[in-house]
Amino acid sequence: MNWKLYRNELIVAASLVLMLSTLIYKNSQISSRSQEMSSLKHTVTEFRELVSLQKTWANKNISKKVDKLEKIVSQSKVKWSKKGKKLTAVYKGLDPKELNKLITTILSMAVQIEELKIARNSSSYDVEFKCKW
Amino acid sequence: MSFLGNSKELLLAYSGMKKQSLSHAVNIMLTPQFYTLKKESLPLKYLYQAKRIAPSLFDGFLGDSQKHEYFVYREEDEWVFIAYDMEAISEFLSSKDIKPEQVAKIFFAQQASDSFTAPVLLGDKEALVSLNDTVVVIPQGALQESSETASFTDAFTPGTGVTPQGTHASVLSKKQTIGLAAFFTLFAFMFFIEGWMYSHDSQETQEEMQILLEDNPSLQSQYSRDSIAAKYKTIDKNERRKREVVKTLAGMIFKGVKVSTFQMNEKNFKVEFICSDAKVAQRLVQLAKKSEFNSAKTITGNVVHIEEKL
Repeated sequence: MNWKLYRNELIVAASLVLMLSTLIYKNSQISSRSQEMSSLKHTVTEFRELVSLQKTWANKNISKKVDKLEKIVSQSKVKWSKKGKKLTAVYKGLDPKELNKLITTILSMAVQIEELKIARNSSSYDVEFKCKW
Repeated sequence: MSFLGNSKELLLAYSGMKKQSLSHAVNIMLTPQFYTLKKESLPLKYLYQAKRIAPSLFDGFLGDSQKHEYFVYREEDEWVFIAYDMEAISEFLSSKDIKPEQVAKIFFAQQASDSFTAPVLLGDKEALVSLNDTVVVIPQGALQESSETASFTDAFTPGTGVTPQGTHASVLSKKQTIGLAAFFTLFAFMFFIEGWMYSHDSQETQEEMQILLEDNPSLQSQYSRDSIAAKYKTIDKNERRKREVVKTLAGMIFKGVKVSTFQMNEKNFKVEFICSDAKVAQRLVQLAKKSEFNSAKTITGNVVHIEEKL
């Protein structure tokens, strides 16, 4: 049989086989990877979230940041007690502006609020704040 | 038997030849009866240039120039142009029982002009001779009686020839072949790229995971990951709720409303607002209920009390 006579058909057949092979390759990649990928992506997302949570709630610098709460108002108005990773702070006679500043600072810190008490005393406010980290 | 050269039998095709009975593929050498020859000294360097101008050289010589194809080669200082009608040649060969698939290559007698050192007889009436380096068919009567004749053998086979395009056997034309092959190859390329991208994407994610694990060795075990996740997700959820409550309550303070007391611990909170009058207190209760503090109620007219679990 003279193959040269069927050269055109052979060329087309070869390119068709090439196309089908790459189609099979693509589909095998999709089927084998899609399940693996979705599980892996889910793990990576969870991992990232976990790392981010750990950075937020187990931040080693938070102890220093908490010290800001002692100096946020004049020393005469603060009774400060910091032991290890726990803080008890009592503020007396805060004006509304000082109260706002104190509450905003507390809320922006990544500490676990154990107790927050605010009591109005005529025109000033008394605050008791307990937290841990 | 030669492994390097063209080892097929060479058959001389001439108009008066007998019908053949072939069981194998052969090479065909055509006599000038099947082609038109032109030799030109042209200042051309490359074969493709010569092939391009070939049709114009035969203008007016050929009956239907559209049907002709051209074979060009260089012979010392001259370019040799051969015009042939493949359809007519194929028809002739078929009439002699030579099927298209039995033709491996087609050569022209002119290509072997050096081999025609003596006349080659074509049947009883004609002979093939080389006159001034041009192979021509002459009547045998024109040969001198004393002149020796040569036998036509495979040694006449030239180096290059025409490979039949399979016009009879092939279903696809050249254009169709190129079009289809290009189409399939393009899709093959697209599928390959797509498949490669899938595998590459997976590699990137795996590398990212590997980097995260290296940076956080304490999170390498699934057990420790689950336990850490459970701990910090609970803290995050509770603390966000506490801050949200404080911010919402702060947003409820408007003109005529003051906080009397506020208490919050790990489990619940309670707050008491003093309003300037009962109308303001009523408005505050509505606002609190809008913020989903459904326990909001007025006590003694202008005092609003909210107590909820976190």
